[in-house]
Amino acid sequence: MNIPLIHVLLMAIFAPAAFGALTLCLPRRAITARVLIALFGLLTSVGALLMVGVQPDAVPTLSFVPSMHMDLVFNPDQLGVFFALLVAGVGALIVIYARGYFGPDEDSLYRFLPTLGLFASAMLGIVLSDNMLGMFLFWELTSVSSFLLIGWNREDRHALLLAIQAFVVTGLGGLSLLGGILLMGHATDAWTFRELLHVFSQGTPPNPGLVTWACLMIFIGCATKSAQWPFHFWLPGAMAAPTPVSAYLHSATMVKAGVYLVARLFPIIAAWLVYWGPTLVIFGALTMLLGGYLAVRSAGLKKIFAYTTVSQLGLLMCMYGLGAFHGGGHGEHGAGDPLIFPVTQILNHALYKAPLFIIAGAIIHICGKTELPQLKGLWKTHRILAIIALAAGYALAGGPMTLSFTMKEAFFYQIEHAAHAEVWIWMVGGMAVATAICNVMILVRMATTFFAAPEPTTHDAHDEHHAHEHGLWAAGIWWPAAAIVLWQFVGGFAPGLFETIFGGVETNVGSWEHLSYGSVWHAISHPGVPLFMSLTAIGLGVVLGLSPLFRRPQADFHNELFPGYFRGMQYFGHVIFSRFQSGSLRQYFLCVLGALLLGLAGACIMEPDLLRMPEVAPLGSALLGLKLASFLLTGLICATALMMPFTERRIVRVLMLGACGFSVTGMYLLYQAPDLALTQLMCEIIGVVLFLLVLRLLPEESEKAEKHYVPKLPRAAFALLVGVSIGWIVLQAGSVADQRNIEIAKGIVSESEHHAAAEAAMIPVASGHGHGEELRHGERVTPSDYASLGQWFEAHSYDGTVMTEGRGGGGTNIVNVILVDFRGYDTLGEITVLAITVMGILSLLSSVPPTRIRGVDPTVCYVGAQPQLRSILLHTAMRLVLPLALVFAAYIFFKGHNQPGGGFIAGLIASVGLAVYRMTEGFDALKRIVPIRPGHLAATGLSLALGTGLLVPMLLMLTGAVDDAAFLRSWHGYIPLFGGAEYHLTTVMFFDLGVFLCVVGASMGIINRLEEELE
Amino acid sequence: MTILLVICITVIFIVGVYLMLGRELKGIAMGVFLFSHAANLGILAMSGQPVLVRSQGESLPKGAPILGNAEMLVDPLPQALILTSIVISFAVSAFLLTLLVVTHRRTDTLEVRALSKADRPAPVIFG
Repeated sequence: MNIPLIHVLLMAIFAPAAFGALTLCLPRRAITARVLIALFGLLTSVGALLMVGVQPDAVPTLSFVPSMHMDLVFNPDQLGVFFALLVAGVGALIVIYARGYFGPDEDSLYRFLPTLGLFASAMLGIVLSDNMLGMFLFWELTSVSSFLLIGWNREDRHALLLAIQAFVVTGLGGLSLLGGILLMGHATDAWTFRELLHVFSQGTPPNPGLVTWACLMIFIGCATKSAQWPFHFWLPGAMAAPTPVSAYLHSATMVKAGVYLVARLFPIIAAWLVYWGPTLVIFGALTMLLGGYLAVRSAGLKKIFAYTTVSQLGLLMCMYGLGAFHGGGHGEHGAGDPLIFPVTQILNHALYKAPLFIIAGAIIHICGKTELPQLKGLWKTHRILAIIALAAGYALAGGPMTLSFTMKEAFFYQIEHAAHAEVWIWMVGGMAVATAICNVMILVRMATTFFAAPEPTTHDAHDEHHAHEHGLWAAGIWWPAAAIVLWQFVGGFAPGLFETIFGGVETNVGSWEHLSYGSVWHAISHPGVPLFMSLTAIGLGVVLGLSPLFRRPQADFHNELFPGYFRGMQYFGHVIFSRFQSGSLRQYFLCVLGALLLGLAGACIMEPDLLRMPEVAPLGSALLGLKLASFLLTGLICATALMMPFTERRIVRVLMLGACGFSVTGMYLLYQAPDLALTQLMCEIIGVVLFLLVLRLLPEESEKAEKHYVPKLPRAAFALLVGVSIGWIVLQAGSVADQRNIEIAKGIVSESEHHAAAEAAMIPVASGHGHGEELRHGERVTPSDYASLGQWFEAHSYDGTVMTEGRGGGGTNIVNVILVDFRGYDTLGEITVLAITVMGILSLLSSVPPTRIRGVDPTVCYVGAQPQLRSILLHTAMRLVLPLALVFAAYIFFKGHNQPGGGFIAGLIASVGLAVYRMTEGFDALKRIVPIRPGHLAATGLSLALGTGLLVPMLLMLTGAVDDAAFLRSWHGYIPLFGGAEYHLTTVMFFDLGVFLCVVGASMGIINRLEEELE
Repeated sequence: MTILLVICITVIFIVGVYLMLGRELKGIAMGVFLFSHAANLGILAMSGQPVLVRSQGESLPKGAPILGNAEMLVDPLPQALILTSIVISFAVSAFLLTLLVVTHRRTDTLEVRALSKADRPAPVIFG
């Protein structure tokens, strides 16, 4: 079996998310099946990772966005695969635990399993990515999915706020990381970690200044993710999540992402950047001590463990920082790399922190108590829980015979080693001992509480325990903890066995070659500073833990940082908002137009030519009719428009508006745009009808004298300024086209050249079966070869060329071909807008009940409803007009591809007919003609257009007519009819039919709904 | 001819802006309608005048953009754009009109000044 590495890796990464999503397909009741599927996803990942093994030289690549240096390159080396196995393995145990924790609660598991799967996949992506930008994608995905997990309880406002806090802090850190990666990539042109390693191994990288900034930004990203001071506060806050989430996020995954990145960068930059080590040491040590101290001063079980997590993360950072003091080129001692088991340290933390969280969740769940002091007598009541908790706590304290002890020794040893180089490191040593004391104190407190006599009230909780379910799945709430913590003791008692299993992950083992060097036997037989530090910690820890000192819980003042920041942002946001979003329409409008004027002024300053009067083409002498008509229409448009502000009566205004629209229709005709004229005419009719309808729904103008909102004169002056500026710009733009006309006329551009394209596309003889065939061999023509885009469309409207792969629109009406074929996407979007508008109008109108309107007589609302208003003339005329309109619409529709017309126009014509019919005869009469509801008609049209766009290309591909099934691709050809006749069929007709139906449905829906309001 | 078109556009824009600065929503809606007319005409101006004037003063009218219609056709692209624009602005106008009705029913006024005082969002400070 020879599967490409990249496929196996992709499977390893995405299996948890895919199987998590799969659980959504199962019925809610099938809990066991869903748990098993989610489990299978994580185990698939484990299996795939084991299949891959460690292949540090492989470069599995999936091309993603190469133009942005973002290919998904993976790196299955020791560090990556180790982390991935940790993520997937602990994840599998967490799934089992979650089943025990949530119990038979279907809804929680229903949401939990997919989210957990997504999170696990994101985490696997981080640790296996080699490309830094690819890693960033997964990095952000962990932020998002952890937000979903932390804000689990959506009713709990406080929990949501804490989830937002975690998201914003890690998100801001993520931005910093992105900036760092981009800077780094820009400076060194290395976009993967391995390239970066190569660059840095050459000595000082290019652009050292930029690289230093990049490192700083990346460090901030790591520090936020891994909860380093001063960003540590989000981690204890994230304890609002259900315990399975805490156990997963804070033991093995999310918070380790920052540590992982530091570990990944350690061999790359630690040797070059002098500040890297001390920065890590200082921030790490501070975090370590602060976390330890706050853990001691906390009462809640989960809070305690959260702060110990912060402390441990600080320790890990500190450790990687210490490594820099000798590593690489500038170590004074030159004793090799003193980093001791850097990866096993991380594993060690997961091996006791995950059980601690799991058991804390179990205790909270079973006993219903969240604070440590409440848990007196746990040993008597729940012995298994107490044993596991104490075992994990023992490891936390770094007691002898655990892996943790070995690791603590290693860390102390490393401090001692580094302190030879820099004396101030001894301070870090002191802090480390203090932290260790804190950890021991926690164990001692746990033990004394558990062994104390139970409080008399506990049997309530005991009864509650019996209410829980029993069985194998229910036991899942504790045994994963046991399964994990066991390894702590394997590492302590049999370091050899542990090393055989996990030792392969260490690549840069330093002075200690074997794990057993740190074991308790070796420590006793070779006493030294590390042993002394350990003993001090244990002794003082026991004493302090038994003493009543440091018992009063103390809140971390950093917890106020984020809410304060949040409130400040909201306050300033509100200040700015209320300044700019004043609710005054006039202000918005003046802002928009003012910005436009400023932009135009700027353009004129940059391009002084814009201020010169452009040359416009003369109209010539012969066309008297055209001249006359254009002057007349201009006069009409201006007059009707100018009338509007001077009349107070709204009905006159609407009629003037309509008159202006009809004059514009005439202008379209003059400009040789029959399609536009038809469309505008129909839209204007429906528009005026609509406006009149709406006016009936609104009150009469109040009688009081016109009090102008803005005084008349400034208002007019501003309008004049805007209008003239826009007109000037249109003149400038329009003169470009005129310029070309002038050039053609003067013979600067030969007319034949101009016409070449159009002539090439002249309609072939009617028997042109294989149209486009001969052009297939022609040279490749691109739109830029034409003088204007319009000419390109002209050339391709009927027949195809190489550019369109031998495909033309098959129609002679270029405008229609552009609409339904070349730019079919636009048209699809447009009819979607229509359909959405109808939906919006319908829902808007149903949101408010109709009210009696002042000034409108309710009896004269509807033309057809009142017998006294029935006009025989109108009714008789309608009987004739409607069939004529429908027939005309059908004619326009079928001719549309070759002559003026098309789906839009036909739809509008039919709508006008139907609308007038609706107004005179009522909805019931309309329903007899069109039995479908208008909204449904619009939806049908939209689906038809979409379906044509999808199906036709598929059919074309299946029949082998084209190679690829591009959305909205059309086909046209000749269908033989009897007697040798042929019918020219294009598939865009179905698309156009969809447009037609949508337009009819939409306009009828709008008019009908407003009419209903009147009735 | 471009000049005439530009005059139309300018006048429509002036009236449109004037109406939109008014005190009532109905006038503002009319201003929006006028705006769409002017914008469409503006696009049309980009296709140049539909007449080719040769150096001898002899005029050659261009044909509508239908193949085989005339020796020289006008630019079809602005027309396709305007066609889309007309239908969209029709839909948007209808929506605007409905909004007027609904606004009046909710607030019992169409005066801009009264409306701007009606619904001021309160600051949301939590935490």
